[in-house]
Amino acid sequence: MTAIPDSKAPTATHVLEARELAFEYRPGRPVLRGVSFAAAAGRLMCVLGPNGSGKTTLLRCLLGQLKPAAGQLLLDGRDVGRYSPRGLARLLGYVPQFPQSAFAFTVQELVLMGRFAHTGVMGLATEQDLAITRLAMQMTGCQEFADRTMEELSGGEAQCVMIARALAQQPALMLLDEPTSHLDMKNQLMIYKMMTRLAHDWQMAVLCVSHDINVAAQHADELMLMRNGQVLAHGKPQDVIRKDTLEELYGVQIELIDSGREVPLVVAR
Amino acid sequence: MSQDECKPPDLNVTAASTGDAAAAAPRTATSSSWPGTGGTLTTRTLLTYLFVLAGATLAVLLLCSLFGQVSIWTEGVWELRLKRLANAALVGAALSSAGMALQGMLRNPLAEPYILGVSSGAGIGVMLSFVVAGMLHVGNFLSWLSMPVLAMAGALATSAAVYAIAQRRGRLDPYVLLLSGVIVNAFNGAIMLTLYLILPEKQIANFATWAMGYISESTGPGLFIFALLAVLTGWGGLLMRGASFNMLGLGDDVAASGGVHVHYLRAETFVLVSLMTAAAVALSGPIGFVGLIVPHICRSIVGPDHRRLALVCGFAGAMLVMIGDTICNTITPWIGVGILPVGILMALSGGPFFIYLLRKRRARVEA
Repeated sequence: MTAIPDSKAPTATHVLEARELAFEYRPGRPVLRGVSFAAAAGRLMCVLGPNGSGKTTLLRCLLGQLKPAAGQLLLDGRDVGRYSPRGLARLLGYVPQFPQSAFAFTVQELVLMGRFAHTGVMGLATEQDLAITRLAMQMTGCQEFADRTMEELSGGEAQCVMIARALAQQPALMLLDEPTSHLDMKNQLMIYKMMTRLAHDWQMAVLCVSHDINVAAQHADELMLMRNGQVLAHGKPQDVIRKDTLEELYGVQIELIDSGREVPLVVAR
Repeated sequence: MSQDECKPPDLNVTAASTGDAAAAAPRTATSSSWPGTGGTLTTRTLLTYLFVLAGATLAVLLLCSLFGQVSIWTEGVWELRLKRLANAALVGAALSSAGMALQGMLRNPLAEPYILGVSSGAGIGVMLSFVVAGMLHVGNFLSWLSMPVLAMAGALATSAAVYAIAQRRGRLDPYVLLLSGVIVNAFNGAIMLTLYLILPEKQIANFATWAMGYISESTGPGLFIFALLAVLTGWGGLLMRGASFNMLGLGDDVAASGGVHVHYLRAETFVLVSLMTAAAVALSGPIGFVGLIVPHICRSIVGPDHRRLALVCGFAGAMLVMIGDTICNTITPWIGVGILPVGILMALSGGPFFIYLLRKRRARVEA
């Protein structure tokens, strides 16, 4: 498969690096404490943790919407807060939990919007922009419904469009916020396979916040478990999925069932 | 226009060929076959739109100048009529593109300068300028200078207030926004009535015609030039932000991650909308619903792209208000009133339209 030519290939080994990251909405009540991790190109990393563990806050810090109280957050070796919105968009693509489109744009027009940060102020597309849009749609299977609007799509298809749109930004890092939380099993699997392809075939760093522990564990290269704003464990799925760790993480009785693969299935009691 | 402009770029798989049930569903606003609405927007398409619409607007201006109560061959009538129609065109262009920008920025099809209270805020400014003009006895110079400045200040203050009331952590609820518009409108109405009480007697007639949305031919050159500059600045600025408005439809987070400076865009849009609304209100008084009706009609014809919409809305608004004003002026003798202000015609037709949109929107939310 031909990869989308990167306008700015990341120079650092790690596309994203967080060092001792801390954040608090109110003084004295930290939401993130000493979070350190790195996301490398070519790897799918899933962030898991109970509600209120700081996953969303971390994501908002990564998007540059929140400013960390302490620590560093380096994207391609440079602090996230120092990027302009356009500069950040050329390195980081974001897929939201719930796709929405308030105006009746077609899928093709929506994916083309991913080129915003690469075009002039009017956002008029060049041949190259159109070619990249086409590639992004092929990659995600969106060309089949390129002329439809979001209202006419299923939840899975709509999420593919959002991934294609982010892909058209040619990012080095792809950020997904629970992209499968409202999808059925088939679409869930499809999205995870797509994320794996983005990481392995397109050499992107893919970071996905998730609640589907089993699907994530089967597909991810790395899992990061978060609890109370701290990293509880981080590593390969087979090293992280352990009864004691997960019981500490979720505060429930956990049973691991041998699935015949490297990573066992997790069932809560 | 070359053929490849109209055809979507190299996407051979159409929805119909998938055989999916959803593919057979009727297409929404995008099914329009107007030139340049199907494929990718290019500079050439935009320029074509610009020239065609500018020509059409000019034609409407000349055509409208033929109609009226007095024959155009009467000495000086044609010039006066052209002057009035130019004012009408500015008012229409300002209100329609301001409405389009508010609808795009707030992702709310019911947003409009009049409904959100921006117009009434500018109105307070205009009234203050009447009071100032009446008290200082300085004559025309200060009144045309103070009117646009005060109208602009009033519009900006009201936009800021409505936004501050409706937003919660940077997010806007569409219904809360409409409600804050209603509240601010009522509040501004009370201020206006208070000002009315202290208004010098000789200014009351001025105020009365202005408050009904009457486009006059006796605008001072200073006010006209201010309005012209304000409308061109605002319109051009909004046109440049068309691509950003398109992105905002995907939600604030996605738009921001795609390279849109969302907070800056909101502030910029409110300033431009206030500027244009102030110009329109100073010229003609508060005319409602133009900013609501025109963007809707335009969107249903040329599709949702705000770069195209900004261009089309401005011209369409100019044409609508010119035609409306000409109708008002022509039918006035038959209905036996001195002057029928165009604002009344717009409110009479716009009110039912607003209710229709509100019900349609609610039906869709509940479905």
